[in-house]
Amino acid sequence: MKRNLNFIEASSLLEANETTSVELTKIYLDNIKEAEELNCFNTITAEQALDDAEKSDLRREQGKLKSQFDGIPIGVKDLFCTKNIKTTASSKILSNFVPSYDSAVTQKCIDAGLISLGKLNCDEFAMGSTNKTSYYGPVTNPWKSNKSDAKLVPGGSSGGSAAAVAADLCIASLGTDTGGSIRQPASFTGTVGLKPTYGRVSRWGIIAFASSLDQAGPITKTVEDAAALFEIIAGHDPKDSTSSIKENESFFDNLNSSVKGMKIGIPREFKSDDLPASTQKAWDDCKKLLQNNDAKLIDISLPHTMDALPTYYIIAPAEASSNLARYDGVKYGIREEGENLIEMYEKTRSVGFGDEVKRRILIGTYVLSSGYYDAYYIKAQKIRSLIKNDFNQAFEKVDAILTPSTPSTAFEIENEPNDPVQTYLNDIFTVPINLAGIPAISIPFANDENNLPIGLQLITNSFEEQKLLNIAKNVQDTVNYESVPKNWWQK
Amino acid sequence: MLKPYILENMEFDKDSLYKLGKLSKIQIDESKLKSLSSDLGSIIEFIDRLKSIDTENVDPTSNSLDQSLVMRDDIASDVNSANEILENAPQKELDFFSVPKVIE
Repeated sequence: MKRNLNFIEASSLLEANETTSVELTKIYLDNIKEAEELNCFNTITAEQALDDAEKSDLRREQGKLKSQFDGIPIGVKDLFCTKNIKTTASSKILSNFVPSYDSAVTQKCIDAGLISLGKLNCDEFAMGSTNKTSYYGPVTNPWKSNKSDAKLVPGGSSGGSAAAVAADLCIASLGTDTGGSIRQPASFTGTVGLKPTYGRVSRWGIIAFASSLDQAGPITKTVEDAAALFEIIAGHDPKDSTSSIKENESFFDNLNSSVKGMKIGIPREFKSDDLPASTQKAWDDCKKLLQNNDAKLIDISLPHTMDALPTYYIIAPAEASSNLARYDGVKYGIREEGENLIEMYEKTRSVGFGDEVKRRILIGTYVLSSGYYDAYYIKAQKIRSLIKNDFNQAFEKVDAILTPSTPSTAFEIENEPNDPVQTYLNDIFTVPINLAGIPAISIPFANDENNLPIGLQLITNSFEEQKLLNIAKNVQDTVNYESVPKNWWQK
Repeated sequence: MLKPYILENMEFDKDSLYKLGKLSKIQIDESKLKSLSSDLGSIIEFIDRLKSIDTENVDPTSNSLDQSLVMRDDIASDVNSANEILENAPQKELDFFSVPKVIE
């Protein structure tokens, strides 16, 4: 069978009875086995997957399909609670946690008949942009530079989700994005990553990092796939108090790739002499492409762009320190015994959390502590209003905004800067979008001089995912990026 | 990679770090004290740059969703039984989580 099947191709093959869900599932389980070196999966649920695939094939025989995508194998970030399947958030502290329920998102996937192959590696509690903070070890990017044999990071935090799609270990995957955790790894792996509007997809049953920023979304091979998987997971959920009451839409059926007459904003604050020449060229080429397809480019200003990252590094750790207070060795996860209750808490948390998570809990506690709360946390929330207002004003003039997804392509696993702030810069182009709560997508556009994928980011106003997907499809269909990594991990 | 933020490698003082550890219920590992105080110093210096921004007359945004709280009908449902939940407890007794003795 053809390598690198996408969602739509797989469903056509199933529909034409040219393959079965069991056959597809077996192929992907084999691919996963061969790619152990990439360390994409924390847990592989082979038995359950084959059992579910068999049921899907039976439904097909009986004409009782749950959806048009029934039987397609996907991967799930290990941050979504899955019933009776270990869910670790790639942390030692949850290394034995088996939820008794499914997250709203994974339940929707089950209801659509999708087959989960297992749980994908990620940065610990989704904190990171390299996948190196995982307790289960880093994920390796399936892409390698043509100038070196060094292993590269897949980005993060949804590094396993992105690498697994790029390496063809699943047809699509689920990720989460708090400051760029879907778009940055998508950019580093030549895949498509969609972060929906805050509130579009239920957060219920997703292990919380920063609740006012977290949003789940698909990582896929094509824009069409992103539309299809997004449509499956979106919609109001009464169990999530910040779930939007907006009706779900037929994003997949309504895809229309025309950009004629659309206004595309180019934010001048994203321009920088430090941007790699190949990324700058990809950005410029995409502007020309959109112009050639009858869109109009508009110079815009987002004056608080450079304030977004420090704002994020107040709000996200503050919410994280509060959310992660629940891991205390009492209700779930591991426990380290102590002389008394307090010592038990302290030992459990000290042994259970990794360095980056501890750093963020400490920073979050600091900015929320008495005397600093107004100076940091409230101040950051006010700047958040200014950032959101920048986007509101921009969207009065433009339909969408085009930027690079990341300031660099994938870098070496061994070559991360020592200073955490320099690592945080990976998310400089993606973080403002989470603070504003608007949707954005990263799509692969070209490869750099080392043959590594460059992603570009499109952004629209809240709840305009259809427009976002349409423009992304236009770019995808015009540029026809078809590069895939060489499968060096296969023996 | 972009390097628009120049930092002066400020260090976070040791006493405050231990105090934060107490508040966060995280033990500060003696061997990592130096690197942790330098990391936190960098991060604090980085977020301190916001202090110069004028936010007079700006309201804070707690989340970006422009929607008032949605109420749902208060209907009992039969999920999350005590047994299921206690399956994940590190220690339990009868139908309870069990912890080290709190009162002497």
